[in-house]
Amino acid sequence: MSLSKFKRNYYGYLFIAPFVIGFLIFGLYPVYNTLALSFTDTTLMTKNANFVGLKNFERLFADNVFINAVKNTWIIWILNFIPQVGIAMLLSIWFTNTRLKIKGVGVWRALFFLPNLLVPASVAALFFAFFSFYGPVNQFMVRFGLLPEAMHYLQSVPVTRGLVVFIQWWMWFGQTVIIVMAGMTSIPVTLYEAAMVDGATSSQMFRRITLPLLKPILIYVFVTSLVGGMQMFDIPFLLTDGRGSPNASIQTNNILMYMKFASSKGHIGAASSVGVLIFIMTSICALGIFYFLRDRDNDEPKRSWFSKKSTER
Amino acid sequence: MKRLSYILSVLVALSMLLAACGSPAVQAPPADAPAADAPAAELEGTLNVWAFTNEIRTMAIAFEGRHPKVDVVYTMIPMTNGEYQTKVKAAAGTADSPDVVALEAAFVKEWVESDLLANLNDLLPLTEELKTFPSVVEVGSYDGVAKGFSYQATPGAFFYRRSIAKECLGTDDPAEVQAMVADLDKFVETAAKIKSCGTGDYFTVGTPGEMLNPFLANREQPWIVDGDLVIDPMVEEYVKFAKLMRDNGYESQATQWSEGWFAGMNDTLKDANGTPKKVFSYFLPTWGLPYVLIPNSKSDTTDTGGDWAMINGPMAYQWGGTWVGVLDGSPNSELAKEFVKFVALDEENLTNWATGVYTNEYLKAIDPETPDDQAQAGGDFVSSQVVVEKITSSFDNSDLAKFLGGQNSYAAFAQAAPSVNGALLTGSDDAIQRALNDPLASYLNGDITEAEMYAQWLDAVRNEFPDLVIPEPPVK
Repeated sequence: MSLSKFKRNYYGYLFIAPFVIGFLIFGLYPVYNTLALSFTDTTLMTKNANFVGLKNFERLFADNVFINAVKNTWIIWILNFIPQVGIAMLLSIWFTNTRLKIKGVGVWRALFFLPNLLVPASVAALFFAFFSFYGPVNQFMVRFGLLPEAMHYLQSVPVTRGLVVFIQWWMWFGQTVIIVMAGMTSIPVTLYEAAMVDGATSSQMFRRITLPLLKPILIYVFVTSLVGGMQMFDIPFLLTDGRGSPNASIQTNNILMYMKFASSKGHIGAASSVGVLIFIMTSICALGIFYFLRDRDNDEPKRSWFSKKSTER
Repeated sequence: MKRLSYILSVLVALSMLLAACGSPAVQAPPADAPAADAPAAELEGTLNVWAFTNEIRTMAIAFEGRHPKVDVVYTMIPMTNGEYQTKVKAAAGTADSPDVVALEAAFVKEWVESDLLANLNDLLPLTEELKTFPSVVEVGSYDGVAKGFSYQATPGAFFYRRSIAKECLGTDDPAEVQAMVADLDKFVETAAKIKSCGTGDYFTVGTPGEMLNPFLANREQPWIVDGDLVIDPMVEEYVKFAKLMRDNGYESQATQWSEGWFAGMNDTLKDANGTPKKVFSYFLPTWGLPYVLIPNSKSDTTDTGGDWAMINGPMAYQWGGTWVGVLDGSPNSELAKEFVKFVALDEENLTNWATGVYTNEYLKAIDPETPDDQAQAGGDFVSSQVVVEKITSSFDNSDLAKFLGGQNSYAAFAQAAPSVNGALLTGSDDAIQRALNDPLASYLNGDITEAEMYAQWLDAVRNEFPDLVIPEPPVK
């Protein structure tokens, strides 16, 4: 290797060094440390910690508390993700439709994004106050004859889960609208024009043009939402008692992890084992999404040239 | 993919190896505190104090008044869902660690039993001088080492509405009402009378959650004995009692510490139809009177002051209390110790604290930036029997006595305080009791059976205490 070549390489390393160092310290090390802690019985309140092998993991599967938390997380995430993407797609199609020509798209987009700027703590406190036993929702429902008598909304499993799903959806669909719209506007108008000349219907254009070209964006939305969903914490934590009540129905993975960390002595070893399993589960699912939604052009060379073009970009 | 799994497996093996060889550095062992026996002529420095309410801020300002060169940096973190406990645990032993921490009864033992608090045995002679209630010292000590002291003693009481007693029970005389609620059977009989009285809009209590402490205080054994979880028969009694109160409509179904619960104190509670409801009684300890009941007895349109009376109720108990301790390894340990001494073991401070000397004017003269609601109204029950004896008579015609229709609450608490048993508190109480709330609420609602409730509760406890031996549920 000549000196000049080395120098060129050296500058390259220099330029990527900030990211690599940042990633090693703030990305890789915490993951590694979590893994290391998960094999110990470390607590915050005692100075000695012992290696306990896989005992923390065994304990997680000894009863169904952990499985229940995983189940809750998936239920809440899926119920929130489907309408989130569905409504984001619908709004994006309307907003980008050249025939509808909706006015003030920027204003609408900003309005839909606004809930995302609210602090989760105040959103949760607001909903807690609205739906408490002596709160305004009960007053309204009973006085207008919609309910025979006041009920404990936040002690009902479907209502509480529904509230978490709604809040998550309401806070995040604006964000998805922005991303999906950006993806849709980046699709060349000429494609639609050509399709229209050929006599394609709206639904044909959506399925044959929009969806294939939007796939990279949808994968991105899918994966980021999955990662965020598996780590769902603030709203379910703050809405009820911080333990996922009622009936542990909104106790998510992260709440369980936090409970182990926060309980009595602060069992961070046991808490880390939950973190490790969430990490593994999320990684497998994210890789699965990439695998199943990968571009199959190479396998099926007869596919239309649109999607091929998208991979070349 | 192959390479990735190879890297991952190496990483796993490596971390297991490292974890096996040496425990990961979670906490550096604290440096030995400098030993300075002679108190400095004038204290100076900056002291970081963390607490879960603003009460101790008042004393911090008074401390600055006595030692003008000292600057107390006060941090308040609420503990509604355990935020404070988590925050202190995470900070202890790090560079952000406070010097002095306030510890509530529910989790003080956890800290006293740990290695994280400094030894405060030097201050023990003062407790004899001030005749601090023995249970207060006992709770703050472990293995003969005192690690925390409290300015309060917290025997509990039963506060009831005189007007409702007169209307439903025929008398508002404390001795006669006490006879009607002297034990649980009589309490239930009285609750039935209150329920059927008038238009049927009276609840006996706001929530059975208030009664958890009386039941727990009358257990034979603490939650944990030799690494085993103990479910005392009183716990089952409590569950049965709470169910009975709910099923018969003797309680308002408001959540403790929620708007509805407070609304009952000032007669602004309305059900969903807008029908006014009233709450007959509240189980509250010493601090509940000045901090909870009196501040919430007034609304814009109503004022229940003067309509209350105080008795022992069906069971003797204690509830809550705030201890202060010094974190081991604090660089300001001498100053911190001096602060603990001032807060919990200083006759002048305790007297000022209990008799309402710390007014806004008093505090603003020391620190002009004092918030307007920082004043400490008189009436908190202090831990020193010497101070209690001196000031009890001063409450005879106080605002406090007027609130209770002429009763001197201080004298009543002084009688109850020596019977408090500090031995039932353990470091795990908080987490065990919190874990019971959700299953119990579901059970009271009728969503799950009693057996399911116990199973869920014990599962939750098992998940928070990896080393605890959990017994079979009492109901299957």
